[in-house]
Amino acid sequence: MRYKLLLLFFLPLLASAQQKFTISGYVKDIANGEALIGATVFVKEINNGATTNEYGFYSITLVPGTYTVQYIYLGYTTDIKTITLDKNTPLNIELTSAADQLEEVVVKGEFEQPTATNLEMSTVSLSMKTIMKIPAFMGEVDVLRSIQLLPGVSTVGEGASGFNVRGGGVGQNLVLLDEAPVYNSSHLFGFFSVFNPDAVKDTKLYKGAIPSRYGGRLASILDVRMKEGNSKKMEVQGGIGTVFSRLAIEGPIVKDKASFIIAGRRSYADVLARPFVKLLKDGGALNFYDLTAKANYNISSKDRLYASGYLGRDVFMFDKQQGFSWGNTTGTIRWNHLYNEKLFSNITAVYSKYDYKLNFGDDDKNKFSWKSSISNFILKPDFSYFINANTELNFGGEAIYYAFEPAIAKGVSNGDLIDTSLDKKYNLESSLYASSSQRLNDVFSIDYGLRFSQFASYGPGTQYTYNEPERGKRKTVIGEKQYKSGEVMSSYNNFQPRASFKAQLTESSSVKGSYNRMVQYLHLISNTTASNPLDVWTPSSNNIKPELGDQYTLGYFKSLSKKSDYEFSAEVYYRATQNQVDYIDGADLLINKNLEADLLSGKGRAYGLELYAQKKTGRINGWVSYTLGRTELKVDGINQGGWYPTRYNQTHNLKVAAFYDFNKRLSISGNFVYSSGTPTNFPTSKFTFQGIPVPHNVNNSRNNLNIPDYHRLDVSLRLEGREYTKRGKLRKNHDYWVLSFYNVYARKNPFSIYFSQTDEAKNTAQRLGYGQPIPSKATQLSIIGSIIPAISYNFKF
Amino acid sequence: MKKIFYTSLSIIAVIFSFVACETEIHPTLEEAESLIAVDGFINNKPGTQVIKVMLTQAYFDNSLPPGVTGASVQVENTTSGEVYAFTESAAKNGDYVWTPAASTDRIGVPGDQFRLRIVAQGETFEAVSKMGRAPVIDSLTFTFQEENAFQPDSYLAEFWAKDPDGAGDTYWIRTTKNGVLLNKPGEINIAYDAGFSKAANFDGMQFFPPIRYAINPSEEDADEKALSPYVPGDSVYVEINSITESTFDYLTLVIAATDRQGGFAELFASPLANVSTNITNVNENGRKAVGFFNVAAVTGAGKKFVLNK
Repeated sequence: MRYKLLLLFFLPLLASAQQKFTISGYVKDIANGEALIGATVFVKEINNGATTNEYGFYSITLVPGTYTVQYIYLGYTTDIKTITLDKNTPLNIELTSAADQLEEVVVKGEFEQPTATNLEMSTVSLSMKTIMKIPAFMGEVDVLRSIQLLPGVSTVGEGASGFNVRGGGVGQNLVLLDEAPVYNSSHLFGFFSVFNPDAVKDTKLYKGAIPSRYGGRLASILDVRMKEGNSKKMEVQGGIGTVFSRLAIEGPIVKDKASFIIAGRRSYADVLARPFVKLLKDGGALNFYDLTAKANYNISSKDRLYASGYLGRDVFMFDKQQGFSWGNTTGTIRWNHLYNEKLFSNITAVYSKYDYKLNFGDDDKNKFSWKSSISNFILKPDFSYFINANTELNFGGEAIYYAFEPAIAKGVSNGDLIDTSLDKKYNLESSLYASSSQRLNDVFSIDYGLRFSQFASYGPGTQYTYNEPERGKRKTVIGEKQYKSGEVMSSYNNFQPRASFKAQLTESSSVKGSYNRMVQYLHLISNTTASNPLDVWTPSSNNIKPELGDQYTLGYFKSLSKKSDYEFSAEVYYRATQNQVDYIDGADLLINKNLEADLLSGKGRAYGLELYAQKKTGRINGWVSYTLGRTELKVDGINQGGWYPTRYNQTHNLKVAAFYDFNKRLSISGNFVYSSGTPTNFPTSKFTFQGIPVPHNVNNSRNNLNIPDYHRLDVSLRLEGREYTKRGKLRKNHDYWVLSFYNVYARKNPFSIYFSQTDEAKNTAQRLGYGQPIPSKATQLSIIGSIIPAISYNFKF
Repeated sequence: MKKIFYTSLSIIAVIFSFVACETEIHPTLEEAESLIAVDGFINNKPGTQVIKVMLTQAYFDNSLPPGVTGASVQVENTTSGEVYAFTESAAKNGDYVWTPAASTDRIGVPGDQFRLRIVAQGETFEAVSKMGRAPVIDSLTFTFQEENAFQPDSYLAEFWAKDPDGAGDTYWIRTTKNGVLLNKPGEINIAYDAGFSKAANFDGMQFFPPIRYAINPSEEDADEKALSPYVPGDSVYVEINSITESTFDYLTLVIAATDRQGGFAELFASPLANVSTNITNVNENGRKAVGFFNVAAVTGAGKKFVLNK
């Protein structure tokens, strides 16, 4: 079997006996030198081509001859080159943004390789240009909120951190910022994401057909790439908004050879409120900030070095000593090397850390502090071998070293110190992968690959074994074993096959399908309604098995006009998962050395249909997306062992995003979102214990009813600053105002419904006497129950 | 642990209060059969003891819970062999009462094991409990705390008691202010040794500050302005009730199911789940029951707040 696979990989090499030459190089934006990711390089004569990779590199190998090569990127003017190929030809191309060039705002989509003709499926990209146009919450453009307008992506509501993809949990998405994993992608509990839009270049979400080079999560990979920084000229941009102010500086260090970008944001509600709020005057704080920086250096035509980093934090303090904070820190160094015009390599080294801290108690004899973190060190070599115009081979590996600090907790009670810190945990995840994409003929293309991963836990540490007296109840410790430093405590190996195909039915339509297996070794431990910053990640161990997911997808893709102005797609997916984590009732998830005794394991299934129609060009453009889906779990001890919908199950999910340009200066955009209410637990009855009414569900069912549907309309207006001064001179600066309205018709969308006793008594004297009936009520909570207007001023010079 | 987190959330709640909103709703709930519900929280204090045998009622039924009449209720001290018969009260409201022969008689001492046996509506239910130990309350103190963002100038009460050595003691600390039991769901104050949970490992210490301070009610005047929990002239009485570990787990679930603060804290609330019970039907296929049986040892201390000038 193994040999056959090897043969498959190398067969194309053997077949290429005839002398061939390669056209290769980088495709960039002429204005700022930014590499264009996913640009099409189309060779007319062979009716085929290549796509630029994450660094803007492409390579096509052809038999000698004369070729017409088109360089195409949406929103940019296509460049056409005629090349007489009689030797290897390096060719770097710079494209001009159509918006920079045309008098009319109407973006002429000259030609773009439509989705229907490439091999990718279940993948969506959003350019920053699009994200910038989407109406923003509190006037702040946001990558994660924009992603939620795409098919198959949902959220449980305002204020919920993270997002759900195709019925997966928030912790089943791998969020990468320049290849560094980001463990908490939210500021202020999900209202804003950690990505500074001024520093983001490209965002791509893989929901299915996930390439072999990615692994580690079941539901999706969100790959966010940062800008390299303008390599042509110095540029400053920023904005003053309702919540934050932003400032970014970018420019060349050595023109066309090295450039940098540094971008920062800080919220300032607390600064403005300080004179008026006593809490803030006394040393309290409430803010969040982030700093994103990147630099690159073009060492030679064959070598390029990138360094990028992110630092962000949310801080909530009641006074100088008490409060809590959390944040991510990442650093990435990448080295691109071209061995030759066909073999591209990138070696990435990453450091990433997520941590949070709490401090309570303002005197030294009575206080409590707790911190927790997860740190990663990653080394990741990737190679792309562009064999010929029809075949590409990708291979590489990844080693991730994890260090977990589940809790460093110290309490002082009346002067006595108690240390309840938990053992640190150490893990290594090592992976190897190889994949090949081949165009078999004019109709069929295939991509197949294999990823192998190993996950091991190392000492020092204590390993517990448990037995399970009753399904769905807390397990009891039956054994304990100490491990020395470096000893292997547990290990898992997994093969993850990936395969996809495309059948080109006509020039403008295709059918694509895929299968992939994903493995997840880290588990996000959260049993609250919404994920929160104190949620802990815990690695697979002797008690928690790795989560496995098998996803099957099938889709139909169609471009509706010759220029591919309109695109339509329909996809179905089915994902079966194993070893899903759920919790016993009353699980104690915080600072618990026997956390694993409170975890349950079961299987899951998620399936659905996604419809997507997009109009890409013209004065009016936008998209409609609809998802019909279901996601369920089946865990022994919950819901009497039957299938139950997850907290984020949504039957219907409809999104409309529309953009319209009135004229060159004024544009309007709107989005509408409708989704079915998410499931929740309702009681059937109650009983009274010691004067307290306690809700009870006689059927003991999980997520038995849905909260009401969610819908919302947002609108935003954008007014560009004048292009010319009053004297008719071209202004050097570029600026614009954005006026946005979130939740235009002030719908009180339910976030949750909770049940409680009515509590009219404000003080002791008013309390009901013991033994009197205590009425119960249900309350619907809307996190945002009104229209939120916001204005921001943005500039660039 | 969760409590600390909720407190810290209140600051964020303030910020979002201007956009968030809550509406009382009246959803239709699933039909449900009535179950026997037992409120069997008795103790070793001298005097009468009451066990309530009731039925569950529809969640939005705001009348008094229906009592079960004609039941037979007895508690056996399986350590001493003593049997205590609880007789139905004249009011026939589900109360079953044991009145000791002498006013100083107690139902047992710490370490004793007990079995509850109820025959009601043709079915027999049983539960067992063990009386734990409760530490003596050394003192009650009042301290002044200056105004902050959440509280005006306040007097806070604290109880001082030390958890005895030996891990695994669990308590329910119940407070009476001016003769009124502080009994809102948010006022259920339980401790595992001297800390919040088993994992916290606070054995043999003074009770952890948040537990010591949880005897302070949050009070407001008619204009919803926060008041000092205690003012000179108020009296406070604190009781430490020993509970079993399973009662501790049960009350943890009761807090999660009933202490719904609403607002932003709902983001991080656990989903509603059924609480546990230790009442079992001797016939495995018989009707299930809900509720809990616990026999507590009780220690107490009281103080009237006099400001020393």
